[in-house]
Amino acid sequence: MKKLIAIGLVFIALAGGVPPVHAKGDDFNDVVKLIEHFYHVKHQGVPLLARAGIKTATTVARISGGRGRQLAEAGSVKVAYFEDQDFKSNADYLRFKSAITAALAGKWSPLIQVASPKEQEQTYIYLRDAGEKFNVMVVTLESREACVVQVNLSPSTLAKLMQNPDEMGNAITIDATQD
Amino acid sequence: MKLFTATHFKFALLVAIVTMFVTATASAQNAKIQTSQLDALAAKATETVDVNIDESLMQMTAKFLSNKDPDEAKVKELVNGLKGIYVRSFEFETEGQYSAADLESIRSQLRNSSWDRIVNINSKKEGAVEVYLMHSAGVISGLAVLATDPKEVTIVNIVGPVDLEKLSALEGNFGVPVLGIEYPKTKRKNDE
Repeated sequence: MKKLIAIGLVFIALAGGVPPVHAKGDDFNDVVKLIEHFYHVKHQGVPLLARAGIKTATTVARISGGRGRQLAEAGSVKVAYFEDQDFKSNADYLRFKSAITAALAGKWSPLIQVASPKEQEQTYIYLRDAGEKFNVMVVTLESREACVVQVNLSPSTLAKLMQNPDEMGNAITIDATQD
Repeated sequence: MKLFTATHFKFALLVAIVTMFVTATASAQNAKIQTSQLDALAAKATETVDVNIDESLMQMTAKFLSNKDPDEAKVKELVNGLKGIYVRSFEFETEGQYSAADLESIRSQLRNSSWDRIVNINSKKEGAVEVYLMHSAGVISGLAVLATDPKEVTIVNIVGPVDLEKLSALEGNFGVPVLGIEYPKTKRKNDE
């Protein structure tokens, strides 16, 4: 039953205009593809269906620009999840860092890059000036899951987050994906 | 003939202004320490952190921080005019993962005559902290902190006019780690 609800919710979400992950010439999509190729994993476009129920509905509302958004501009959120997959199989994070740097070079500015090989965690935050707003891309990889989030932030929101860039990735990811 | 002279004068003035601007810009640029030579340390580190806040981001941040919030106003005043904040940090699981030779690329830049070492603390327990200032035309145009202990290397590089008396307020903000340094007002390396 839960599965049916989840599928239904996902269908509604997709019909409601969740931003497509696969758009041509899209750096977000390029990063998602890079992770898939590098770690031999597959993403889910909408945060995990299996959580279903209210949680999924709320998350979907957030993704499609619904209530409760605090940081990202309405309708600006793109999320790709990788859950319960193996990110240890290719533990060479330096190669991954080089690959993502090359993929976004000249288009995005690296703001913060944190890697903890021992904990098998990596976080990358990239920024791009988009006129009156900023595009921010947060890439987080752990041993069994990963998440790519892209949002539009107003300069004033970004200015506030910039004071503590260590927490910026978490704040954006949580805002985009959780209740 | 008079017109010719006036044109020449204007041209000379323009060249002088452009030269001054280029020199000032070059001085500010020089305060940025190149750290790419440290990339090799990342392979041995248990945690690495790179923070890059360039001039445009710095100015955008300063512009949008509130004057009404006392904390934000304090930070705004401090970052106004800064051209960048760059932090690189490497943590190692065991001692001996890096050597003095690994840091030579940083030290060789800081040995340049435009940098003055104003703090040099060596403690077996706490590690070593060196603070360098760059002066251009009598004004501080950059700061570099090299903090090392047997299991950690941290480099903080602030480019632009730095107010030493307020610098501690920047620790814990913009990726600058809390170093607990008491910065002297003005002290040259010869004064140590």
